[in-house]
Amino acid sequence: MELEVDYGVPAVAVQADAFARLVDSVARVNGMPHARRCFVPTPVIDRTPDQLRAYIEGDDPVRGGPFMARVLSLLEEPLPQEALRGVDLDRSAPRLVPPGTEDELRRLFEDNHWTDYLPIVLPTEERVEAMLAGTSRAPDEIVGQMRPTSYRELWSYDVEKVAVNAVMAGALPEHFPVILALASSGHTARQSSTSSAAGMVVVNGPIRHELNMNMGIGALGPYNRANAAIGRAFGLLSQNLQGGSVPGETYMGAQGNAMAYSSVTFAENEENSPWVPYHVQQGFDPEESTVTPFYVWGNTWNEGVRDTWPQKLKRMVTAQDPYLGVTLLMDPIAARRFVDVGFGTKDALIEWIYENCRVPRAEFWDNFGSRNLYHTIVELGEEPFTSYWNAGPEELIPVAEPDNIHVVVVGGSSNGQWSLFSARHVDRRFRNSPDDPATVSIEPWR
Amino acid sequence: MSTRKLSVLDPTGYPPKVVARGLSQSPGNLDGRTLFLVDVGFENSDRFMVQLQGWLAEHRPRIRTEVVRWKDQHAPDPELCARIRAEGDAAILGVGT
Repeated sequence: MELEVDYGVPAVAVQADAFARLVDSVARVNGMPHARRCFVPTPVIDRTPDQLRAYIEGDDPVRGGPFMARVLSLLEEPLPQEALRGVDLDRSAPRLVPPGTEDELRRLFEDNHWTDYLPIVLPTEERVEAMLAGTSRAPDEIVGQMRPTSYRELWSYDVEKVAVNAVMAGALPEHFPVILALASSGHTARQSSTSSAAGMVVVNGPIRHELNMNMGIGALGPYNRANAAIGRAFGLLSQNLQGGSVPGETYMGAQGNAMAYSSVTFAENEENSPWVPYHVQQGFDPEESTVTPFYVWGNTWNEGVRDTWPQKLKRMVTAQDPYLGVTLLMDPIAARRFVDVGFGTKDALIEWIYENCRVPRAEFWDNFGSRNLYHTIVELGEEPFTSYWNAGPEELIPVAEPDNIHVVVVGGSSNGQWSLFSARHVDRRFRNSPDDPATVSIEPWR
Repeated sequence: MSTRKLSVLDPTGYPPKVVARGLSQSPGNLDGRTLFLVDVGFENSDRFMVQLQGWLAEHRPRIRTEVVRWKDQHAPDPELCARIRAEGDAAILGVGT
């Protein structure tokens, strides 16, 4: 679109047909619903040259008719005046939805894709006002901006809008500062990626106790009001405040992710950890309460740090795609065992993973994340990925850089569980600003 | 179920204002003109553009084509855009996945 609008070059965008509704939506919200576009079948990624040639010689599966005839007609035939002008779009909405019975309103919220399809608490004015009592901030104060992916437009939201979603999630006013801090981060729990990323949330500092958050037995499960409601609120506020999370339009995860129901929200068990808390690693004072959102894809599980832990850990880390990130969630029993085998700090364990969990160059680059997300960095000539690209085929490359390896202690010591979550901070390139921090303070939102 | 009417708040954020943006008029017949084929960097887009160039060479040989690569698939490439404006008449970008 930039080539067309900013540089005045007539341009046709070729897209895979699975993205047709998304592309139509992006064109509309950029004021150019007539943007020239054509479609080929999905997938493109693993097709041979002959198969791609067949796409080109075949029909456009969305618009119909021969693909190349459509491409050339879009570039060679005169456009109508409306396409040359573009189209304004007013999407403003009143503060209140039309009054209705409980049944009618529940249906309205579901029809508009405003829920996670579990029952919500309807955000009446009284309930929203009660939620607003959980912060000193004014209802009309802007909290931040969010979008489902980097190529969509940023939507903004104020304190009251966040409160509406917190009510819907079943949160209590005392949870509200954590929810506001998450909203202020600008990181979405409803990323539209085809990779089906979900959100994950780690809470640190004194507020864990103030909210009676679960950091012990069952911390990641459905056993605590604060954990459950804060996580659900993060998901609902993300989809509603960023302009939607609708499959095929503003959400493209091929399979989706069940973790998105809860945004895997828990507190670190700082008191039973042998290491410094996560937020202290990120430069915060231990007495400051913070929240850290991650993207998460999946996890693997272990019980006990046994004699063969190095082999096991290497297999776990090298089994996953490099881009995803390595986040170890350790029960205190497992954490203390790692201390026993020589890791006096989290950083020492991170360094061991970086040094020892490596794969041959050919394997490192043969996956979606590396080919599509790290390779862009190579195009820009940045290290270390340029060196990784230029390495010999058998040269060993670390699966994760130290800043993409995280260790958090959580669990109630009913066994020595430790899990590897494929989870990472939001890539700096996809933050609202590259300098936006991954971990945010909750204190300003009290 | 209660038939009492409730008043509730809209949960959606504030969208940016959408201002109309016009497209560029078509240059007409592309024979004798330069068409840039822009590989935007998604996996296999480079192969697609080579095939597209091959099809054009066979079926529309009088169109000059050049395959170029967009540096960052997630952001416009100003240097390349400026070159296309200076040296080209139209472009095909892809493949978005």
